[in-house]
Amino acid sequence: MAKEQSIWAEKLTFKDQVKVIRGLLPFAKPYKWYFFSAIVAIGVVSAINVLLPRILQEFMNKYLGHLDTKFQVLIIFAAVYFGVSLLKAVFQFLQEYLYGLGGAYAEVNTREQLYRHIHTLGMRYFDQNPAGSILSRVTNDTQALFEVWRLFMLVLMGTFGLVASYYAMFVTNAKIALALLIFLPFLFGAVFYYQRVSSKVYGGMREKLSQLNAKIAESINGINVIQQFRQEMRMGKDFAVTNDEYQMARIRMIKTESLLLNPLMNLFNGLGIVIILGMFGWHSMDAAVAAGTVYAFISYLNNFFAPMSEIMQELALFQDGSVAGVRVLRILENQELAPAQVAHPHGEITQGKIEFKNVTFSYDGVHPILKNLSFTALPGQTIALVGHTGSGKSSTINALMRFYDFQEGQILIDDQDIREYPIAEIRKKLGLVLQESFMFYGDVSSNIRMFNQDITDEQVKAAAEFVQASRFIEELPKKYAEPVIEHGATFSAGEKQLLNFARTIVTNPKILVLDEATANIDTETEVTIQKALAKMRNNRTTIAIAHRLSTIEDANLILVLDQGEVIERGTHAELLALNGKYKEMYDLQGKEV
Amino acid sequence: MDIFRKLTWFFKEQKAMYIRGLLALMMTAFLNMIPPFLIGYTVNQIVAHSLTPMKLALILLGVGAEAVTLYAFRYIWAVHIWGGATYLERKLRQRLYMHFMHMDTKFYQTYRTGDLMTRATNDLIQIRQVAGMGILTLVDSLTTGTVTIITMAFVVDWRLTLVAILPFPLLAVMSIKLGHRMHNAFGDQQRAFSKLSDKVQESLSGMKAIKTLGQEAQDIEDFNAHNKALMQAYKKVEFVGALYDPLTTMIIVLAYVATIIYGGWLVLHQQINIGQLVSFIAYLSMLIWPMFAIGQLFNIIERGNASYDRVMNILDNETHIKEAENPVMLPAQGDLHFAIKQFQYPDDAEIALQDIDVTIKAGHTLGIVGQVGAGKTSLLKLLLRQYDNYEGVITLNGEDIRQFPQDTYLRSIGYVPQEGFLFSTSIKENIRFARPDASDEQVHAAAQKAAFHDDIMNMPDGYETEVGEHGISLSGGQRQRLAIARALLINPEILILDDSLSAVDARTEAAILAVLKRDRANKTTIISAHRMSSVMNAENIIVFDHGQIKERGTHADLLAKNGWYAMIYQQQQHGMDATIQGGEA
Repeated sequence: MAKEQSIWAEKLTFKDQVKVIRGLLPFAKPYKWYFFSAIVAIGVVSAINVLLPRILQEFMNKYLGHLDTKFQVLIIFAAVYFGVSLLKAVFQFLQEYLYGLGGAYAEVNTREQLYRHIHTLGMRYFDQNPAGSILSRVTNDTQALFEVWRLFMLVLMGTFGLVASYYAMFVTNAKIALALLIFLPFLFGAVFYYQRVSSKVYGGMREKLSQLNAKIAESINGINVIQQFRQEMRMGKDFAVTNDEYQMARIRMIKTESLLLNPLMNLFNGLGIVIILGMFGWHSMDAAVAAGTVYAFISYLNNFFAPMSEIMQELALFQDGSVAGVRVLRILENQELAPAQVAHPHGEITQGKIEFKNVTFSYDGVHPILKNLSFTALPGQTIALVGHTGSGKSSTINALMRFYDFQEGQILIDDQDIREYPIAEIRKKLGLVLQESFMFYGDVSSNIRMFNQDITDEQVKAAAEFVQASRFIEELPKKYAEPVIEHGATFSAGEKQLLNFARTIVTNPKILVLDEATANIDTETEVTIQKALAKMRNNRTTIAIAHRLSTIEDANLILVLDQGEVIERGTHAELLALNGKYKEMYDLQGKEV
Repeated sequence: MDIFRKLTWFFKEQKAMYIRGLLALMMTAFLNMIPPFLIGYTVNQIVAHSLTPMKLALILLGVGAEAVTLYAFRYIWAVHIWGGATYLERKLRQRLYMHFMHMDTKFYQTYRTGDLMTRATNDLIQIRQVAGMGILTLVDSLTTGTVTIITMAFVVDWRLTLVAILPFPLLAVMSIKLGHRMHNAFGDQQRAFSKLSDKVQESLSGMKAIKTLGQEAQDIEDFNAHNKALMQAYKKVEFVGALYDPLTTMIIVLAYVATIIYGGWLVLHQQINIGQLVSFIAYLSMLIWPMFAIGQLFNIIERGNASYDRVMNILDNETHIKEAENPVMLPAQGDLHFAIKQFQYPDDAEIALQDIDVTIKAGHTLGIVGQVGAGKTSLLKLLLRQYDNYEGVITLNGEDIRQFPQDTYLRSIGYVPQEGFLFSTSIKENIRFARPDASDEQVHAAAQKAAFHDDIMNMPDGYETEVGEHGISLSGGQRQRLAIARALLINPEILILDDSLSAVDARTEAAILAVLKRDRANKTTIISAHRMSSVMNAENIIVFDHGQIKERGTHADLLAKNGWYAMIYQQQQHGMDATIQGGEA
């Protein structure tokens, strides 16, 4: 497995970013009215921001200059100013709340669609991709994606404000507004330079931070090994190096921001004031300039530069979101779907007869793992597959369970092609007992019933009794309601295996598929497990993978697989008499003990 | 404010940095007062038509020079104050890490990985906030706030100032209140998110089980319930978050209303002039940030204080495994003798071990068998000094193992547990974990002894193969053999295999045991196992039951006794648990 590439190591072009946004837009589409309303609200707020200084300008220019202005005028202006501000507050709220809601809905929707899609993927996908990396696609990446979506609003707000305040300056005094354009090249220079530096510095900083946290987590998990081998000091030194690197990266980031963000915008603002005062002042020497006009103009200049640092900062984060988007899209575009059934699947499995007819199966389309495999299991029979790792035992099960599609030949159940049954029927009638007994968070009974609410408590109990799991369950303080924590950590391997059996048997399958456990179980539990298995096989067709030959001596047919081919077949006695590979394996096992 | 006192040690340490930063910050606050004044002055001059080119030039020079100076001061305080905070973060992180390195088993039973991670991530950020944002807001709010108000009173009018700043404390109150609500809402969101994350994690790991039972639709339904819960939490966060700006607007407008009415009245009555009013409005907008920040300061302090206490709480834990005061300087080798009267795990009433008396001659092998929970691992834990609180003594070379320096003692032991932790790096680095300077030849030799070399050579990247997180890309048997190779590389005086051959097939197990027999002729080996085949060749075998030794002797002795050992051995031989053939989990 390749080490997962860090999100900060990937670089996206502008075109990629556009592609990501277009790919994900459909998920935001159902919520478009939230976004449209929010954008309208942003427009209103920007307009009000232009209007407010204008009100004060009117007030100062027209009324404060005349000493006979009535007190009521002051009250009226105050009331108007208050009213307009109230309006602004309402729209400010709408803008942020609506946009935020839309973003949240879109995130949750994307995640749901992604999860649905993941469930349509075949087992191949899960065998090839570590659960951890799929997990971060579903959780963190979708979140990162829409955090950026929210940043988008801030940028939008800033841009609106920018345009509105420039427009206001232009209307107030076009000459000065034009003169202020002299800042434009510097502003662009700062933006460009900041983007270039920060994407590098910021990426490096985040990379170091994730390394740091990974190191801490790994060291805590591996503390026994570290302490036992007395490597504490070495690990500490290693950690200090990364810790220092992170701090240095952080300080570089702080310096970059201090150089190019707020202080610089404030400097521009200050120099802008010089231009404004200079031009108004010069003008006033031969014409009248009103006090309110100067005030309003300087307010607009403030409004102009205030959002700049924020916009620049947010733009720098854009990269993360698009990388997350690319990863989410990659999964959505993945078409390694679970094997499909025919267009109108039908039929019911009643007998449990299984027939493999010249089945050829390959994972990569090049190297066949199963070659022309043929065998028949009559209802109630047990067929055992033996052979070394890689001989094709697990692949046979993968093909039979429809986890993977096979390429040639046929698998028949009750003489009907397996691809013609509804997949639900296959899942219902073929009970696979997995090697590792996976436990889900919940309680004992939910682990037997799983999500199937049609199964009654009585059925759960009956299943547990049948496999003799009831013995230890009854001893638990809460019996069937005993909580099961993550991975069933409070249960022994043997107990988990018994619960796993109960989970299979509760659905009463016609066919039993056993991937024999090699788990480390103590001998006494082992006896119980073997007894339970024998009971389960009774009256069911069984396909069993066996590691221990002793457990399948009574099988009706034993297939010895080697490199995807059956090299020997027969009953236990026949195979021993054959004096071939099976005999060799059997002898070796016997000798060990 | 308690937290600032608690952090005094740090501020003292970084005195120079903070003094420079804070001086620059205060200078910024003072210099900030000049532009509004000059703007007001210019406006008056313009209105009165008394502006001369000379005056204008001086004003412009003043504003320009001041803007450039402010840029310098702003840069200085930002770099020093934000930068200073990173020193605190680094320092505490390193201290935490080293603390983790040295803590004992009890500590790791008390605190879960998630708890410890939170200390090293979120809590550190909260503390960093105190040393950065906290210091900034404290000093800036006080200076800018005071300076601005005084300037307003002197330059404009003290009565107007008094009236106009009345609504400002509301800003602080709002900022505290919303900060609390936001914190709670955000906490709910985090919890909903981590529940969702747990759910997805579980489903992904159990994907085969879900597919087997055909429960995809039900699983999606369950997922949706979690996803919807997250949406509800988001709604709350968005709502609280959307309140900040509108409420600020409404509070500030009160000050403007007061200024329009009272300020306008003062202008009309010629108590102040219009230029002063313009300056006043400019000063007013400068007060918004300091008042808002004071509110934030309370939240930063509150959270920082809690986080600091949590971190200190962790750091206050002491390991129960102490270095001996006068350690013996003998080499850690020779005969090993257990004479344990009794051992109980801390906070556990049950007796884990009782009356253990065993001697292993140097160079011999001890086999330990027994059911799960019978005491096999407990005994090994004591030998590994994970617990020191037992009655009795374990001696090596005649000396109590607790009297050896840990460095000498633990370095002479190679312990291989059933699931040995692997680091997410290459196979090579994992093998030479305990001896990072080992040569490739030494690494290969160790892998060969553990019957792992051939497997490695069959991998495309050979020894450079990445094992993945927790060694996920290797099979169970490969992981066990890698852990064995790691222990063999240091050629330990005492090698402990704690059920570490369980996932290895019978043939490989036999090969490894043969190599151990040959190579470790003068060194002690302890093998704990479920399969009798692992221990049957040991010079001495002990059978544990409920913390006591029930049977002991050689393989032949024990068979003759016809007890538990003989019974299990027969069972295993007769195939109820024949050795695993060819399959690795």
